[in-house]
Amino acid sequence: MANSNPIAVQLENLSKTFELRSGWGRNRIRRAVIAVDGISLTIPAGQSVAFIGPNGAGKSTTIKMLTGILHPSAGQAQVLGYTPWRERRELVRYIGAVFGQRSQLWYHLPPRDTFELLARIYSLDRGSYVRRRDTLIERFGLGEFLHTPVRKLSLGQRMRAEVAASLLHAPRVLFLDEPTIGLDVIARQELRDLILEWNREEGVTVFLTSHDAGDIERVARRVIVINHGRVVLDDKVSALRRQYLGSKILSVKFHAPPAPIVLPGVTTLKASEYALKLEVDTRATPIEQVMAEVLRAGAVADIAIEDPPLEEVIAHIYAGGSAPEVAAGDHKHA
Amino acid sequence: MLKQLTNYLGLVAAYTRLNLNAQLEYRGAFISQVVAMFLNDGVWLVFWTLFFTRFPVLRGWTINDVITLWAMTASGFGLAHAIYGNVLPLAGLVAQGQLDVWMLYPRALLPHILLGRMSASAWGDALFGYAVYLVFVRPDLQHFGLFVVLTLSAALLFVGFGVLTGSLSFFLGNASSLADQWRFAMVTFSTYPAVLFDGAIKLLLYTLVPAGFVSYLPVQALRELSPWYALLALAGALGVTAMGVLVFYLGLRRYESGNLMEMRG
Amino acid sequence: MMALRKYTWIGLTAARSNLAYLSEVAARTVFLAVILYIFLRLWQVTYGDTGATQLGGLTLPQMLWYLVMTETLTLSAPRVAPEIDQDVRTGALAVQLIRPLSYPLARLWSTLGERLVRFGLNLVVGAAIALLLVGPIAFSAGGLLLFLLALPCAFTLDFLGQFLIGMGAFWLEDTSGLLLIYSRITMILGGMLIPLELFPQAVQPWLRALPFSSIIYGPARMFVHPDAAFLRDLIVRQGLAIVVLSGAVALVYRAGIRRIHANGG
Repeated sequence: MANSNPIAVQLENLSKTFELRSGWGRNRIRRAVIAVDGISLTIPAGQSVAFIGPNGAGKSTTIKMLTGILHPSAGQAQVLGYTPWRERRELVRYIGAVFGQRSQLWYHLPPRDTFELLARIYSLDRGSYVRRRDTLIERFGLGEFLHTPVRKLSLGQRMRAEVAASLLHAPRVLFLDEPTIGLDVIARQELRDLILEWNREEGVTVFLTSHDAGDIERVARRVIVINHGRVVLDDKVSALRRQYLGSKILSVKFHAPPAPIVLPGVTTLKASEYALKLEVDTRATPIEQVMAEVLRAGAVADIAIEDPPLEEVIAHIYAGGSAPEVAAGDHKHA
Repeated sequence: MLKQLTNYLGLVAAYTRLNLNAQLEYRGAFISQVVAMFLNDGVWLVFWTLFFTRFPVLRGWTINDVITLWAMTASGFGLAHAIYGNVLPLAGLVAQGQLDVWMLYPRALLPHILLGRMSASAWGDALFGYAVYLVFVRPDLQHFGLFVVLTLSAALLFVGFGVLTGSLSFFLGNASSLADQWRFAMVTFSTYPAVLFDGAIKLLLYTLVPAGFVSYLPVQALRELSPWYALLALAGALGVTAMGVLVFYLGLRRYESGNLMEMRG
Repeated sequence: MMALRKYTWIGLTAARSNLAYLSEVAARTVFLAVILYIFLRLWQVTYGDTGATQLGGLTLPQMLWYLVMTETLTLSAPRVAPEIDQDVRTGALAVQLIRPLSYPLARLWSTLGERLVRFGLNLVVGAAIALLLVGPIAFSAGGLLLFLLALPCAFTLDFLGQFLIGMGAFWLEDTSGLLLIYSRITMILGGMLIPLELFPQAVQPWLRALPFSSIIYGPARMFVHPDAAFLRDLIVRQGLAIVVLSGAVALVYRAGIRRIHANGG
């Protein structure tokens, strides 16, 4: 049943209210705090979804309910056809989870030992476990450090092993909580590619939370933003990119004072004698064209292209759906 | 049922092997902890030897009985925490919301989470217990067999009691220090002959601080080779464990409702 | 004069910073209450069975107060050796050398300050429990004065022993094993669990001659049984031991410093 369901995750009016108590005796105060406030969603099997929002928005409470750790106060949820908090032990056979901060690898032992233990925990049959493990070792490039204690691995190697470990029992849904936190650019890219590959080829449903715009852009096809326990945006990542991630920040240092740069969709954010910080709307002028113009303007000493920080993008979505501050200069979207 | 049991025993073996391997990554530290505990227990052996040299009988108990008692408690306690080492920090794990990760495995939560750690010094206790029994009491095969069975019962008692006290965190917030002290009282009482106590305290030893199920009944069973006393000891261990499991799962409901102190995020 | 004031100030600062130790007192109370109650029962039964009013020259209440004092002395021992071990390994000791202070003397005074606070707190708890269990024994102002005179040298002796072990860090990979052996030997040979009079006759003179009994047994005995002649003896023993151990400390410390000068710390 878990393998054939066309809908991976379905939430209906899911809500969670916590009761906070403080003080003692007569001063004791009970206060209800609404963490998740009637979320409804449907995620088809095989989709990759980014689930984002500021701290305390209700992200982890929602994930805890979807994995059966927390019981909701109201509403329904089904994951792979199971009601998580009622059928947790059946469900968790078919889901995997990676928490960036909390490792399931044994710190003092090589990854291989953890794999063996996981095979036991999930009662995998020997033959299919070995096949699965060898595939993961090859695809995740774990061979070179499979026998090295985890404490001696780089963070990038560790996270690769971490994700591979969570895929060992062939889960249908993969929950990833800040998987790339702390990784360098290359390790981050590698991990994103691997997750994406697994999503495309095996059809694993990916449920990702992250504070990194790159994670969301490259791994997810759909983005769900929540704040104050409610969904404030639910759209394709491509739409988000068009509306909010369409701009780039270009920082340039010159050897000599540059000539002025005038192009449609390019705003000067900051300028000093030798340096420029430009904000480029790539829909108006492609980034290549801006670069060419910059090189013509003077001898370049250093150049960097960045995404606008995700926090700003999200802040704007919360503020009511207008474009980010940095992009708000000369264009407005409909 | 049998299949489930062998499957679980396989898991226990896998965890124990891994825990031991992890400990042996720092061989020196592991060995010194084991030796330290051995030495620590040895102090008491010396004390009781001195005591019985001067006063040969204590309410009908001889040095052999007291050494049997020490061997029983040490190996039971050692066995319990060498395998189920997560019993000791359970109160803290609950209070810090660390059950979450364990809930994501398709295993019964309590018997799984307890396997997650190994207490190195517990090996010292276990080795001390069996060694002392063999060397000082010099049992025949029959006694030794019964001794081994009874140490398993004592181990179960310590695990059950640890779960019971550790689960207080579900209801009281971080109850680590309360659990530690309660467990300390239990362990301390289990290292002295229960014949020392009468009245209310004796009652206590079979209820709130159930040390009697390790410090009296098993020793009596071995003195008289009595299956009756052995069964009583086992029944006590099972009772305490059932209580611990009940309290744990009642507490887990609070945990799942999220109204457990600081577990929002 | 200046020097004395300097070291006194170091001692007072250490005492102040250990007032945080108060929070541990609650846990200590449970610990001491359990231990002392069990020992009370053990000795009640023993006095009852033997029909004696005095064992080793002590009445039952005196025996319990003796144990209060030995426990207090043991529990109040600051863990100096590990700190010194760390100072050696981290090079903090080398840094101390440029200060206008003697490292051993500064350590001695801060240890005495710390110990004073711990000793006081533990004694309050232990005495309260003993009062509850057996009531007071005959204390006199003169007797307490004699007891107090036995303390400073006992504390100093224990410090010297621990200092020597900590200095071991210059040559050994790990000194925690040594410390453990030292503390267990002090417990046994120092008479923590059982007064020296109840040891076999043949070993008693040897135990009295060893410094361990001057750290625990001596002061505890003075506490329950003040005796000017005994004190004179004790102080002579303590003095001799201090002279010998100070000599050893001086030798070892100088050898250690030479290593710092040779190897650059």
